[in-house]
Amino acid sequence: MSGRQDFVAGLRRWHVFARLGWFEVKRRYRRTIIGPLWGTLNLSVFILALGTVGGGLLNKTFSAYLPFVATGMIMWVFISTIVSESCSLFMSNHNLFRQMQFSYSTLAYALVWRNVIVLLHNLAAYFVIMLLFVPGLVTPWTLLAIPGLMLTAFNAVWIALLFGMVCLRFRDLQQLVTTILQIGMFITPVFWTPDSLGGIRHLVFVQLNPLYSLMEVVRAPLMGVPASAQVYITAIIIAIVGSSLTYAFFGYFRKRIPYWA
Amino acid sequence: MTALVLDHVNVDFPIYGTQRSLRKILLQGATGGLVGRDQARSNRITIRALVDVSLDLQDGDRLGLVGHNGAGKSTLLKVMAGVYEPASGRVLTRGRITPLFETMPGLDPEDTGYENTITAGILFGMTRREIEAKVPEIEEFSELGEYFALPVRSYSTGMITRLGFAVATAIDPGILLMDEGIGAGDARFAERAAKRMEKFIGRSRILVLASHSEALIRSTCNKAALMKAGKILAVGGIDEIFKEYHQIIQ
Repeated sequence: MSGRQDFVAGLRRWHVFARLGWFEVKRRYRRTIIGPLWGTLNLSVFILALGTVGGGLLNKTFSAYLPFVATGMIMWVFISTIVSESCSLFMSNHNLFRQMQFSYSTLAYALVWRNVIVLLHNLAAYFVIMLLFVPGLVTPWTLLAIPGLMLTAFNAVWIALLFGMVCLRFRDLQQLVTTILQIGMFITPVFWTPDSLGGIRHLVFVQLNPLYSLMEVVRAPLMGVPASAQVYITAIIIAIVGSSLTYAFFGYFRKRIPYWA
Repeated sequence: MTALVLDHVNVDFPIYGTQRSLRKILLQGATGGLVGRDQARSNRITIRALVDVSLDLQDGDRLGLVGHNGAGKSTLLKVMAGVYEPASGRVLTRGRITPLFETMPGLDPEDTGYENTITAGILFGMTRREIEAKVPEIEEFSELGEYFALPVRSYSTGMITRLGFAVATAIDPGILLMDEGIGAGDARFAERAAKRMEKFIGRSRILVLASHSEALIRSTCNKAALMKAGKILAVGGIDEIFKEYHQIIQ
C-alpha cells in the first residue's frame, strides 16, 4: 500500500474510523450520567471564573471578555488535545495494525473525528453561556465557523500523522511537545487579546503563531465576526505546507511504522 | 483464483535501544558529520528475521509451517498478512487475507459482546450489513445468552475465548493465516469448536498454519515447510518435512 492508497482506503472505509472515534467517546459515557459533558462542565467553570477575574485584570467588561475567553478556551482545548494525542497515535493503537494490514490514516481520521465530537459537546457550554450572558453574539457570520472547523480539522489530520510518526520513532519528542503546549496556552492569544501586543511580539506570537490561526478561523465566527483575511491565508498556507510535507514523509516512511512500534 | 506468492523476501528488524533517542542522532550529526552517520547506520543492530524466502501457494494449498521458536514462522505470517513490508523482495496476493493471530481485533472490555462483535467484523473488512447478518449465529454458537448484551469485562476468560472464536470463525476467510490453533475453552465446547474450525478452514482457499503441534498440522495441512533461522529449508510433503524436522531437533 502506498501513502496515497492509504489515505484513500482510510476515507473510503469511513465507517471504520467513525466507529473507532465514536466508541472512544461513548466509553466515557459508561457508568456516568453525563460522561464527556463532565469535561464541558469543568471547562465552563474555568471559563466563568477566568472571565470574571481576567475581565477585571485586563479592565474589560464581563460581557466583552467572557465570549473571548469562552471561545478561546474551547478552541484551545480542541487543538491542544489533538496535538498531544497525536504523539501517541501509533503507540496507543499498535494492537490494531500489528495484526492485519491496516490503513494508518484511519487512526488519524478517528482521532480527529473523536475530538470533533468532544468539541461539539464543549460548544454546548458556548451556547449556554452566550444565551445567559451575551445574547446577540450569534450573527450570520457565525456560520463561517463550519468551514473554519473543516480547515482546522484538515490540518489536524496531517498533524496527527506527522507527529504520530515522528514521536513513534523518537520517543523524546512527546515530552517536548507536552512542554511546548503548556507554554503555548500562555503565548497564544487565548486569554489576552491579539491587539494587546505590538511590534515584533505581535508578529511572533500572533501573526506567525500557527496555533493562533488554526484557532481563530473558528473562534472569530463564534464571536460573530469573520476572521481576518490574514488568518485565513495563514491557515491555508499551513494546510498546504503541512499536508505536502506529511504526504511526502508518510509515503516514504509509512512502511517503517510497524517496525518502529 | 486465489494465490499467495513470496519472491525472495527479506525482513530486517532494526533494534532501537540506546540509539532511539534524538540526542544521539543529533550528536552523531554534530561530531561525526556524514561519515560518522554512515558508520552509525552500518553499526545499527538489525535482526534479519527472514532470509530470502520464496513460496508459491495456489488455490487448495494448505501449508504447515514447522520450526523451532524464533525460526521466523510468526514473522512470515505477518509478512503474508501485510503487517510488515519486506526490506526487499515482493509479496503478491490475490484474494482476501484473513489473519488470525489474536482472536478479537479491537476488543475493548467496556463494550458489550455485541458491540465488540460488530467492531471486530468491521476491522476484519466486513460491511456493517455482512457482520449484522452473522450476529445471530455468533450469539448462538458462543453460548453467551444474556451476557451477549453485557460489557465484556463481566465475562469469564472462557466466555471471552468463546466469543472470539465464534467471531473469528464466522468470516469467509479467503487466504487464512493462523498462528497455532485458536484456543477454545472447556472440553465440551472444544468438541463443538473443532467441528466449526474444520468447516471454517474448509471455506478458505489457502491456509498457512504455523504450529508446534504435529497432530494439528497433519490433520489440517496437505504440505509443509521447514523453517530455521529465518530461512525456509525445505517445502514438501508432511511426512518428509517432519522427518527432517526431527533430524534437526536431534
